[in-house]
Amino acid sequence: MKIGVFICHCGENISSTVDCPRVAKICESYPGVEYSVDYKYMCSDPGQNLIREAIQLYKLDAIVIGSCSPHMHERTFRNAAFSAGINPFMVEIANLREHCSWVHDDIESSTLKAIELVRMAIEKVKRDKPLSKINVPVTKRVLVIGGGIAGIQAALDVANAGYEVVLVEKEPSIGGHMSQLSETFPTLDCSQCILTPRMVEVHQHPKIKLLTYSEVVKVEGFIGNFKVTIKKKARHINEDLCSGCGMCISKCPIKKKAYNSFEEDLAFRSAVYIPFSQAIPNIPVIDETVCTYFQTGKCGMCLKVCDRGAINFDQKDTVMVADIGAIIVATGYKLYDIERKSADLKYKGYGEYGYGKYRDVIDGLQFERIASASGPTSGEMKRPSDGKEPKKIVFIQCVGSRDDSKGISYCSKICCMYTAKQAMLYRHKVHDGEAYVFYMDIRAGGKMYEEFVRRAIEEDKVKYIRGRVSRIYEENGKYIVKGEDTIAGMPVEIDADMVVLATAMIPQDNAPALARTIGIPYDKYGFFNESHPKLKPVESTTAGVFLAGACQSPKDIPESVAMASAAACKTIILLSSDTLEREPVVAKVNEDLCAGCFYCQKVCPFGAVEVKDVKDINGIVYKEVAFINQGVCQGCGTCTATCLSKSIELSGFNNEEIFAEIAAL
Amino acid sequence: MKELREHAKELLEKGEVSAVIGYSQVSEKRTKPIIVTDPQDTDQLVFNEYCLNNLAVYLTKARIKVSCRTKDKTLKLAVTAKPCDVHSVVALIQENQIHREDIHIISFNCHGVAKDFGFEFSGDNIASKCINCETHKPLYFDKIFGEEKETPKASDDAMERIQEIERMSHQERFEFFKNEFDKCIKCYACRAVCPLCYCQRCITDKTIPRWIESSSHMRGNFAWNIVRAFHLSGRCTGCGECERACPVDIPLSLLNRRMAIKAKKSFSYVSGRSLETPTLVGSFNEKDNDELFM
Ligand SMILES: Cc1cc2nc3c(=O)[nH]c(=O)nc-3n(C[C@H](O)[C@H](O)[C@H](O)COP(=O)(O)OP(=O)(O)OC[C@H]3O[C@@H](n4cnc5c(N)ncnc54)[C@H](O)[C@@H]3O)c2cc1C
Ligand code: SF4
Ligand code: SF4
Ligand code: SF4
Repeated sequence: MKIGVFICHCGENISSTVDCPRVAKICESYPGVEYSVDYKYMCSDPGQNLIREAIQLYKLDAIVIGSCSPHMHERTFRNAAFSAGINPFMVEIANLREHCSWVHDDIESSTLKAIELVRMAIEKVKRDKPLSKINVPVTKRVLVIGGGIAGIQAALDVANAGYEVVLVEKEPSIGGHMSQLSETFPTLDCSQCILTPRMVEVHQHPKIKLLTYSEVVKVEGFIGNFKVTIKKKARHINEDLCSGCGMCISKCPIKKKAYNSFEEDLAFRSAVYIPFSQAIPNIPVIDETVCTYFQTGKCGMCLKVCDRGAINFDQKDTVMVADIGAIIVATGYKLYDIERKSADLKYKGYGEYGYGKYRDVIDGLQFERIASASGPTSGEMKRPSDGKEPKKIVFIQCVGSRDDSKGISYCSKICCMYTAKQAMLYRHKVHDGEAYVFYMDIRAGGKMYEEFVRRAIEEDKVKYIRGRVSRIYEENGKYIVKGEDTIAGMPVEIDADMVVLATAMIPQDNAPALARTIGIPYDKYGFFNESHPKLKPVESTTAGVFLAGACQSPKDIPESVAMASAAACKTIILLSSDTLEREPVVAKVNEDLCAGCFYCQKVCPFGAVEVKDVKDINGIVYKEVAFINQGVCQGCGTCTATCLSKSIELSGFNNEEIFAEIAAL
Repeated sequence: MKELREHAKELLEKGEVSAVIGYSQVSEKRTKPIIVTDPQDTDQLVFNEYCLNNLAVYLTKARIKVSCRTKDKTLKLAVTAKPCDVHSVVALIQENQIHREDIHIISFNCHGVAKDFGFEFSGDNIASKCINCETHKPLYFDKIFGEEKETPKASDDAMERIQEIERMSHQERFEFFKNEFDKCIKCYACRAVCPLCYCQRCITDKTIPRWIESSSHMRGNFAWNIVRAFHLSGRCTGCGECERACPVDIPLSLLNRRMAIKAKKSFSYVSGRSLETPTLVGSFNEKDNDELFM
């Protein structure tokens, strides 16, 4: 075998601490090495040419590149090798940058280490075998989880490209948080007005199958070939018969037993209800927990008044399985609960602000409902306690955000903007009212964002006070907000009629559970992780699963939509070919030696290991062995490490190759 | 004894099992394993304090397994097992080596066995695993014989030695085991008697590449004994057969018991006790204690 060694300087990234010419020179003398050279930028066009020419000139069989991490350029060098006529898997990379030059500073010892690393790669490449790519078929159907603006946008984009979409939403209607908003920054256009047409489009799109009041319970399979189990919860309404007339809702005698969560608990709803008037689909749901029929077996008023016979108390949850090629997760966010009834035990909350105790201390989404023309006050500024118009209102930013001691460390990013918006909306509605904002910093990066905040300050006379609020308490019907103006360096006290807390954006409660169901990683807060923070922001680390919207990190609407379209585009690329090429780095069981303990099956995170019967000449099963589905296997190597009898080999990383690398040290 | 023999005879005559794996007496304080296939031979079967071997090891032997299988059905295999040997049977079932429905377990109410053949069974000569045994009654069985008797009292010297090792510094502990492993002659008797060493090809026999040096040199000895301990951690049921088989008296159960104590402490897992709990190896729980990670 003839091996070529190519040592890259990576500009000065490697060569400043590793003597690259010396590494190349020494490697020349190693057995098997036919040619060895160093060069400033191996990945550049001339660098790749150098490799190609050397392969042809010296008739090389395999090459070793000493360069940056294989994450960076393995593919580049494999392609270069392939175009010069050698199998792309006869290429090994010694990571001289992340594993050597970047982490050491002594030239002599890092050069010696670089030599060792290259030698290990040489020993491995000697044992490498040519591999060929694996082709797997692709199911041309996309699952979108979550029907907020991100999910809606992604579903529409994919469907408009001609592919089938299954959109799963856990609530009875799509729309997500955007449907609750009044007007939106930075243009102050009405949220419902821009959202509703898209919701309708989703509903009517021939390529979109909409499953509301449904949840994903199981995801099996792999990129291009997922099998997804979806549970559709019983609405107790026959969707095919219901015309959405709302008769049942108006006649339901249970009016004040359940809070309306769409109205952020500022209003009640009946036992049979539609979350909001523009809901898609316009089909009610019966809430078993408060419905008299479900509680006592009596009533049945809705049954009597529905002239289409759509009420069905006996309806059961149904489960369906869908074949899916790619998944877009768009499950959005929720607000930091403070001390609300479903208080998040994880965070300690802000008891000193009196949220939950004073009815006029509300959160941002509650304000959106009060400001919304379709909300509980029909858009009039009325405070929850007594319906009076608040003449003095205080907004407090960063409640929960940027607070290591009581909340979360990150910046929720949108609160500065929505607070400015809300203060502005307040001033537009209450001309003689005063609006104060307590802030830590104003973060208004974005097109027309800074201008928007300035407008609130300059045109709408919103008074911004830099500093934190220490306490809020009630006195003579006023809420005394005690804080500190850190610019003036003095304490401030405002007697407000209403207080709005800009609470942090956190992931949905079920996000970690869903992540485990799908098999994607999440961060310590519960936001889903992207594959690369810069270069792969919409891909999850699981092939075929993409992310969109606020489920990945706090985002406003434009960002959520952009991310959704990007994720849609990635899935469309995926579905555009009939088969998928997979790296041939997969595990394979030696059936003669496998003891059939199936520990590999237990540990495989992708469910790639199956049971195979081995029969003798008479057709009698004499043992069961593990069998790895090469389409499912992701080459993680967990089984290889677990197998006690070393009966599994990972192609490209087999025992012999790894052993040779270690032995070369 | 009579009932045991009659039961075995009936099983074979009715064709319910293809063989009975059991003990036969060799001399007064010594038994040996036998595999009975002919109903006439069942009168050789015995059970007493000298039935030391863990017969579960035979359940996975390919030739015995194959003899049970015909084209349309698998015959059962009967095994005589002390309550502690049943733990090995359970572990084998959990690891898919045998199916519960293919095994007929004949067990006993047990009050202990002698520490080795030739020793009169008494508190002085009781096997160390029996001293604090918690399962004098088998956890799983199809047929049970024998009456309950008091276990002779004795002090648990092995446990004391484990605690002694626990107190050693890393260096001392290393030296201690190095000296012990130095004696190993790579006969693999420990592996041969271990019911859980059922692999068709052991990692130590793998030659491309050779992970474990095969000569009885310190390098390979250390690797072999440590790898074996690792492969058995969370799996070893503590039958003590490896130590009894070792011709150079390496205290293997010190190593195995220490691993078992760790498994119990860190994961509340004891191998071979329940068919319902998932095996320790290969199961993952978010709440798992991770202090064992280095
Ligand atoms: C008070 C406030 C005011 C705001 N004002 C503005 C503004 O003026 N302008 C602006 O640009 N942005 C604003 N935002 C931000 C805006 O709400 C978000 O950017 C946007 O809603 C994110 O969309 P999304 O689709 O990612 O998430 P969401 O709107 O949260 O939608 C997620 C959807 O997924 C569903 N879901 C969750 N889990 C599951 C599951 N397991 N299975 C199925 N479905 C699931 C949910 O029910 C929901 O329908 C504001 C936010 C707040 C809190
Ligand atoms: S872990 Fe190894 S021996 Fe056990 S079933 Fe899997 S391949 Fe076979
Ligand atoms: S390498 Fe093994 S554990 Fe990893 S995905 Fe493949 S079969 Fe599963
Ligand atoms: S350990 Fe228990 S079951 Fe096993 S021989 Fe001793 S007393 Fe009997």
